[in-house]
Amino acid sequence: MLILSRKIGESIVIDGRIHVKVMRVEGDVVKLGIEAPSEIPVHRQEVYEEIQRNNRQALTKPSTPLPKLPKLLPKLANGAPKK
Amino acid sequence: MKCAETMEPEITARTPHKNMVRIPTGLLGFEQIKDYVLTTNPDEEPFAWLHVEGNSALAFVVIDPFVVLPSYHPDIPKADVEFLQLSESKDALLLGIVSINGDVPPTVNLKGPIVINRHTHVGKQVIITNAAEYSVKHPLPVAAE
Repeated sequence: MLILSRKIGESIVIDGRIHVKVMRVEGDVVKLGIEAPSEIPVHRQEVYEEIQRNNRQALTKPSTPLPKLPKLLPKLANGAPKK
Repeated sequence: MKCAETMEPEITARTPHKNMVRIPTGLLGFEQIKDYVLTTNPDEEPFAWLHVEGNSALAFVVIDPFVVLPSYHPDIPKADVEFLQLSESKDALLLGIVSINGDVPPTVNLKGPIVINRHTHVGKQVIITNAAEYSVKHPLPVAAE
C-alpha cells in the first residue's frame, strides 16, 4: 500500500483525473473532497460491505414461501423503469 | 458478449418462462457465480426468482423496485450504462433483491439493484449514484393478516 502524508488543503491525484483533497481534520475524522469524472463511482466502503452482507443474507432456498403483499399495490405492465 | 441472434426473446416481467441471465461480475459477495435463471410465474407476482444456474438449492427472491416504491429514481452510473449497453431506460429491467428472513419483516435492497439489459440478458448489480437516498433494507408493504 502506498502511504502519503498530506496537510490540510493538500491533494493527491489519481490517474491524472481523480483529485482527493484533505479538507478538514476534526479529532479522528478526516474530511476528504473528491473530484472525479462522473463515470467514476465513488462510495464509502461500507456501502459495498452492506450490500455484500445483504446479498449473503438474501440467498435463499427456492422453497421459501413468499410474503403476501397488499392487493392494492400498483402493478406495472412490464416493470419498465420510469425516468 | 454473446450474439443477439442466440438470445432468447426480450425479457419482460410478464414473460412466463425462464430466462438465462449472465452477470459477468457476479453479485457482491458472490463474484464467482455468473449464470442465473430468472423465473417468473404469474401466481407469484410481483415476485420473481433469480436461481443460481446449476444449483437448484440456491436462489434470490427479486421484485420490481418500482412496484414497492413508485417514486424510486435510481441514478445508474454512466460506466454501468455503457457496460450493459443500455441505450434507453426501457432497455433495462431492474430487480431489487428481497430478504425474507423468518420472523423479520421482508425487505428489498434499493441501494444495489440488479440491472439487466432485456435484449442481451446481461446484468450487473449496480450501486446507484444516489445510494445514500435509499436503504438496503427497504420494508416491503406486507398485507395485514
